[in-house]
Amino acid sequence: MILIRGIISGDMTKEELWQAILAQIQFNTSPANFATWFKNTKILLKQEGKIVISVPNHFSKEWLENKYNKTILKIAHSLNENVKEIKYEVPRTGLEVKKERSRITNHYTDEEQLQFEEFKADKVTNLNPRYSFENFVVGPYNELPHAAAWAISKNPGSIYNPLFVYGGVGLGKTHLIQAIGNKTIKNFPDKKTRYITCEKFISGVVSSIKNHSIEEFKNNHRKIDVLIIDDIQFLAGKEKTQEEFFHIFNTLYERNRQIILSSDRPPKAISSLEERLRSRFEGGMIADIGFPDYETRMAILKVKSQEKGINLSDDVLEYISSNIKENVRELEGALNRLIAYQKLNNQIPDCQIAKTLLKNIISAPTRMVSPKKIIQTVAEFYDLKEKDLIAASRKKEIVFPRQIAMYILRESLNSSFPFIGRKFGGKDHTTAIHAFEKISREIKENERLFEEVNLIKQRIYSV
Amino acid sequence: MKIIILKENLKKGLDITEKITTKNLTLPILNNVLISTDNNLLNLITTDLEIAIKYWALSKIEKPGKIAIPAKLLSDFINFLPEEKINLEVKNNVLHIDCKNQKAQIKGQDPEEFPIIPKIETNDYLEIKTAPFYEGISQVINFTTPNQTRVELSGIYFNFQKEQLKITATDSFRLAEKTLYFENKLNSDLISEKGYSFILPLKASRELLNIFSEKEGEGTKKIDSKKIRIYFSSNQVLFEILFPEISKPQIQLMSRLIEGEYPDYQEIIPKKYETQLILNRNEFLNKIKTASLFSGKTNEIRLKAVPSKKEVEIFSQSSELGENKSSLFSKITGKEIKVSFNWRFLIEGLANIKSSEVIFEMNGEEGPSVLKPVGDATYLYVIMPIKST
Repeated sequence: MILIRGIISGDMTKEELWQAILAQIQFNTSPANFATWFKNTKILLKQEGKIVISVPNHFSKEWLENKYNKTILKIAHSLNENVKEIKYEVPRTGLEVKKERSRITNHYTDEEQLQFEEFKADKVTNLNPRYSFENFVVGPYNELPHAAAWAISKNPGSIYNPLFVYGGVGLGKTHLIQAIGNKTIKNFPDKKTRYITCEKFISGVVSSIKNHSIEEFKNNHRKIDVLIIDDIQFLAGKEKTQEEFFHIFNTLYERNRQIILSSDRPPKAISSLEERLRSRFEGGMIADIGFPDYETRMAILKVKSQEKGINLSDDVLEYISSNIKENVRELEGALNRLIAYQKLNNQIPDCQIAKTLLKNIISAPTRMVSPKKIIQTVAEFYDLKEKDLIAASRKKEIVFPRQIAMYILRESLNSSFPFIGRKFGGKDHTTAIHAFEKISREIKENERLFEEVNLIKQRIYSV
Repeated sequence: MKIIILKENLKKGLDITEKITTKNLTLPILNNVLISTDNNLLNLITTDLEIAIKYWALSKIEKPGKIAIPAKLLSDFINFLPEEKINLEVKNNVLHIDCKNQKAQIKGQDPEEFPIIPKIETNDYLEIKTAPFYEGISQVINFTTPNQTRVELSGIYFNFQKEQLKITATDSFRLAEKTLYFENKLNSDLISEKGYSFILPLKASRELLNIFSEKEGEGTKKIDSKKIRIYFSSNQVLFEILFPEISKPQIQLMSRLIEGEYPDYQEIIPKKYETQLILNRNEFLNKIKTASLFSGKTNEIRLKAVPSKKEVEIFSQSSELGENKSSLFSKITGKEIKVSFNWRFLIEGLANIKSSEVIFEMNGEEGPSVLKPVGDATYLYVIMPIKST
């Protein structure tokens, strides 16, 4: 009998052994004492006759050592004859700290009282808990990146690696990739997650080169399970950083660690990015965030106004969302303006007031975008001079950008065809019509052209 | 156990130890004080399993022994006794108290059930002056936050360097930092080049202050020369005050520490300013209090400083109550500025500044501002504005 029990207990795991010991101690202890002193205890280590028990604090340690050691040892010995010694330890970093961290998520409330910015982000992960999937509004324009992000947070490292998210200013890239981080921490508290802006990464490389600690820098980053880098386009032209990043990227990738990148343009459009990096960026999943459509803009406004606790009528929201199209951040800005009005005057702004309040936000972009600006941006984008576009050249590399410029003029400003013709050195209005129709047609067929035009538009509006 | 003790001595010991005893349903013994004899001293111990306080009192021991007695009841009873000698005797787990014409019997609990107070396994300690230490803690203690989401912020941060100690607290809206400079370099191996730091829970910090203020009754002369010893171990700390007469510990406070890393708050303290005001403290305080009457629920008051006028305007308004505007003289350097604050935060900061003039350095409408006394570089109070609407 004893022999059989010995064999069984020899196979007992640490958890099973401790459960068996606790089950017997229960009989000799009052329930209150048992609850106080044995809560959160476990076997930390079982090694040749020695058992180390982890206790939550020094009080438990003293108590168990002085009052229960004999009993525990006796029971342990009866279960496993090898056990000769029992030690008690208070682990330095309890698991509790980690649990606390995951609770942070939804406590954020928008208040007027400003906080120290540095405190909002988690110190270890750099993630800001206010960015979560729960307050991320999904529409047709960001369905794909959202789905990919969601999948990654469920199962980091094994699908879509790396994830490359790109899109214009203020469309929610940072929100999305931080949400992945926050969700991953919740789902996998043991995984090391880091959010870092590209700029911080670069300055990290620079200072570690200065301090001769580049190895340490690399090692630190190689231990990460989920690495999130924001605004990766700033790597352009920083060759040494690109090289270090390349090595870190490879190490992480080989070990199936998740890498998430964001940028304001696709990898192809990032100038002076080394070819091997570019191809790696394209190796996983590339997802773009476009402009939100009208319905999504409405949804965003509704979510935001609920978050901020203001009740605006539908026609006000409709007015905002039909007039601010290119930037979610601007939507929020408009909303903030109305909230400020409401707080000052104790009156919910109606449509008429909203119109006057938002006049300068809404009319600003149209004023800023002039035909000159469009031509300039297009020329810049294709690395041409403005006068090349206007001159009467029929070279292919000039004709195509010129047609794009004409197309955008027509589409964005609704300029008349004769006007467009005149802008390009007195061309006939039929040339303009031809250009517009040609690009309209090709955009539908050619995905890459579509993206290109979108990028140009973003640049026009963002500056 | 049989002892004779002066009422004053026993009362002081109970005042210091009693406060941390709490009603604890799972472990009722925690609302007891453990009374025992320790050589020629009487020893009182209380604990809430996070903090433990031990107090030793001079007394005449006739027979050693120990007992656990409900702390509140004992303390309340002793308070009513005349200033005389008290006889304490334990018979069959009942404490018999006999003092002049008052007699009482209090039922005790089994002293073996009382938690064992963990020991700190180190003989290394730091020794610093009590009075400035006490003052430093009291100047920052109100700015911790019991916020559970950031456990690190729920305590006071102590950062020891060889020449100085920084005591810091913040609730993420404001931050207070007090620096104590040591006359003699701390000569301890405990303090490495990087220094030594820990986060003390708010409750333990409060108890420390309570101990100091109880002690102050003894006359401030003594306290000036008094020193406090600090023992560290991995996640506990022990504060110890010796008897003035004999070199034995009189009071010990042991506490667990908050695990976690304190935020790198030095980044928050602005190194420069856009606008600097130098104001009369009392006048400034009065004007803020006046303005606070009209600030309504948001607690918002607005400051406007115009360098050419040498004047600061304080303005508050609420749609229900009305408005108030006042101005006071100030030396102003830098840009003109309009900025809003929560008046409560301003007043609480000013309350810890005792100098007749204060420096107020601001960094625009949304940047952190710093409040500090004139002629005292050891204290500073960083405060974030309210986003102006």
